[in-house]
Amino acid sequence: MFNLVSIELYKIFKKWRTYIGFIVVAVLIPVIQIAMLMEGQRSINFMTRNLQQSFLFVGNLLNSYFVSYLILNSLAIHIPFLIALVAGDLLAGEATGGTYRILITRPVSRFSIVTAKFIAGMVYTFLLILWLAIISLGLGTIIFGTGELLNYSNGSIIILAQNDVLWRFLLAYGFAVLSMGVVASLAFLFSSLVENAIGPIISTMAIIIIFMIVSAINISLFQSIRPYLFTNYIDTWRSFFDNPIDVHTVIKSVLILLAHIVVFYSAALFVFKRKDILT
Amino acid sequence: MKKIVPIILIIAGTCFGQATNPDVIIKNLKEAFSKVKDYSVDADIKVDASFIKVPEMKAKIFYKQPDKTHIQSTGFAMIPRKGLDFSPASIFKGKYTSFYVKEDIIDNIKTSVIKIIPLEDNGEVILSTLWVDQSNNVIRKIESSTKTNGTFVINLSYDFSLNKYPLPSSITFSFDVGRMNFAPRNEDSPGMAGEKKPAKNITGKVFITYSNYIVNKGIPDKVFEEKEK
Amino acid sequence: MEKIIEIENLSKQFKDIKAVDNLNLNVYKGDVFGFLGPNGAGKSTTIRMMTSLISPTDGKIKIFGSSLNEKRNEILKKIGAIVEKPDFYGYLSAFKNLEMLGKISGKEISSKRIMEVLELVGLEKRYTSKVKTFSHGMKQRLGIAQALIHDPELIILDEPTTGLDPQGMKEIRDLIVYLSKEKNKTIFLSSHILYEVELVANRMIIINKGSAKVEGIVEELLNSNKLRVTFEVDDTEKTKLILNNTLWINKLETELNGKFIFLMQQEEIPGLNKYLVQNDIAVKAVIPTRSLEEYFLNITQKES
Repeated sequence: MFNLVSIELYKIFKKWRTYIGFIVVAVLIPVIQIAMLMEGQRSINFMTRNLQQSFLFVGNLLNSYFVSYLILNSLAIHIPFLIALVAGDLLAGEATGGTYRILITRPVSRFSIVTAKFIAGMVYTFLLILWLAIISLGLGTIIFGTGELLNYSNGSIIILAQNDVLWRFLLAYGFAVLSMGVVASLAFLFSSLVENAIGPIISTMAIIIIFMIVSAINISLFQSIRPYLFTNYIDTWRSFFDNPIDVHTVIKSVLILLAHIVVFYSAALFVFKRKDILT
Repeated sequence: MKKIVPIILIIAGTCFGQATNPDVIIKNLKEAFSKVKDYSVDADIKVDASFIKVPEMKAKIFYKQPDKTHIQSTGFAMIPRKGLDFSPASIFKGKYTSFYVKEDIIDNIKTSVIKIIPLEDNGEVILSTLWVDQSNNVIRKIESSTKTNGTFVINLSYDFSLNKYPLPSSITFSFDVGRMNFAPRNEDSPGMAGEKKPAKNITGKVFITYSNYIVNKGIPDKVFEEKEK
Repeated sequence: MEKIIEIENLSKQFKDIKAVDNLNLNVYKGDVFGFLGPNGAGKSTTIRMMTSLISPTDGKIKIFGSSLNEKRNEILKKIGAIVEKPDFYGYLSAFKNLEMLGKISGKEISSKRIMEVLELVGLEKRYTSKVKTFSHGMKQRLGIAQALIHDPELIILDEPTTGLDPQGMKEIRDLIVYLSKEKNKTIFLSSHILYEVELVANRMIIINKGSAKVEGIVEELLNSNKLRVTFEVDDTEKTKLILNNTLWINKLETELNGKFIFLMQQEEIPGLNKYLVQNDIAVKAVIPTRSLEEYFLNITQKES
């Protein structure tokens, strides 16, 4: 299995499309950081203007934690697309390239092939989020320094002490890997069904967008569906910045997202094991 | 002789009795405080408020007569603006009218209650009530109503064994700043979508403990020119 | 003799087409087995079933004495296959493609072995080139290379000479002969070109519309005594007359527009020719076709 996974990772990282994600992150995030450098203090002042009339604020609230927190919100659309771009190609790409024939005629089970590709897809997801974390926090710290983290939760302002923030980010990024893992698994499942990577990428994004729209519309029917949509749980990373953390919500979200990953993977495996390779 | 007795009585009255003339009370406060040319002090700040959660903060506060203040902090700190400067000069600035209300007891200490109404229109405060401890010439409590920021109450405690100046060892600053104006961000916890949370008043208390006063040792002006860090 | 491949009642039904219909065949150790059929006959479908790319609707496939269903990995370790056109990871070099495939072939494949195989197929000079820069012929050769890197006992070649020039085709045929004779490999060769098969194969089967039509030893099939010989004559009526009371009439299959088609043995041709000439029949042409070739041509033409 290790051989297969390393082969799959090698193939992933030999394709130029893999680097799109890393390049986008490396460009987009500094752009956001520069924008925050110019406008960030103003927006912080705006957010806290009521308080600042009675209180004098001292300290560096415009710091890398604040900006990185903002950046994590881009998990909504940008990052899922970059994940689907690679995950959607994992199986469909072999069909497009005609390379199933040299792969599946080898003495490795279809189970091993699917699982190795799936693991490789998860590794890519992890690496992309890691890259996101490094650029956000690392580059952010160089530009802004660190400090207390100002954010809102449930209508309150929460300011977290400087030494109380990093571990929360580690958990938040870890959670992001999990939630983007669901996106990757979904794209992977679609990839097992078709012969071209475009379909899985578009379908995955369509599902995410539709789910998000359904969640946002305030009709009771939609709101009753909402808890069953995995996009509802992607935002739970914000809970790590509550004080105290709502552990119950976090655990529930983790389990639901894990369940999605298991289901999507199993479905892909089921499909692939029975698939007639005609390409 | 006939003139001396009333004079002695008046002096005795002002020294040992409680004055009821607000101008006198204020004058005494100012005199007592004039001994403080400058100071720096370490402040420990705790905030206990609805809708704000902040960790315990530390800052260093600098003061120099007549009205220079500066805060330094390694991290983030938020300090009530009214808690920066206890000089009577800052409390009693501009034109105002004052009157004596009554005697009151706070924490077993006899205080004289006076009210200050600023006559100028450009200030934030519209009315202040002060509880003055005349035996020590310090203010024990201030209650102020502001134009746009609700009301606040400052309770001041002193430990004269630590320093002989009219500088508090701790204050409790209670505030009520009215409704929050920012729109609550559109993040909802799972399962609770689109519920509009009613805007609530921000109320709370700030507890500041002062320690390590360094008084009248000289603070260069340029300290106060630094941007608040 | 050891049976390497046993296919029993193999069928594959796609939605509305039965691509393989009750196919039976056996391949023995050391065979170069020709699997012949026109395009669309079901050859590739059969090969895909043999290499586990497709699952059969019915029937059994046994390779090396074991069911493919049950011992897939063990069997595939000993098979090297090209299935239809050779496709590779174009963004990787020839060497890298083989190295990767070698890692999952069930054996330790050294770099030396990879270069050996590349040399065998004539690609050693291009081992670092990305496969997307390869011509079709080069990819075909690389396809054979990937089938050989792990030194399999059974080599399945699905139309390996497609798109090659005559020189290339000859090289492949020479390679097949080499692998069979020098290396004792069993080779399963599918093709739609009879001529190609007859040059290298010792046993063969012709399939059409998914089922077997003709099967046997190549030499026997091709040199079967029966030939269809067309005699083109000038006088049809007269020819009919003189043939009437002779034994030749039993061998006459059909007559059309002066062309008399006999089913006869090769040795009999001079005799009939002499008989006709002696009876003043001008024989304009004598055209023998092997019945197998003709049979194959017929079905190929029908398909097109």
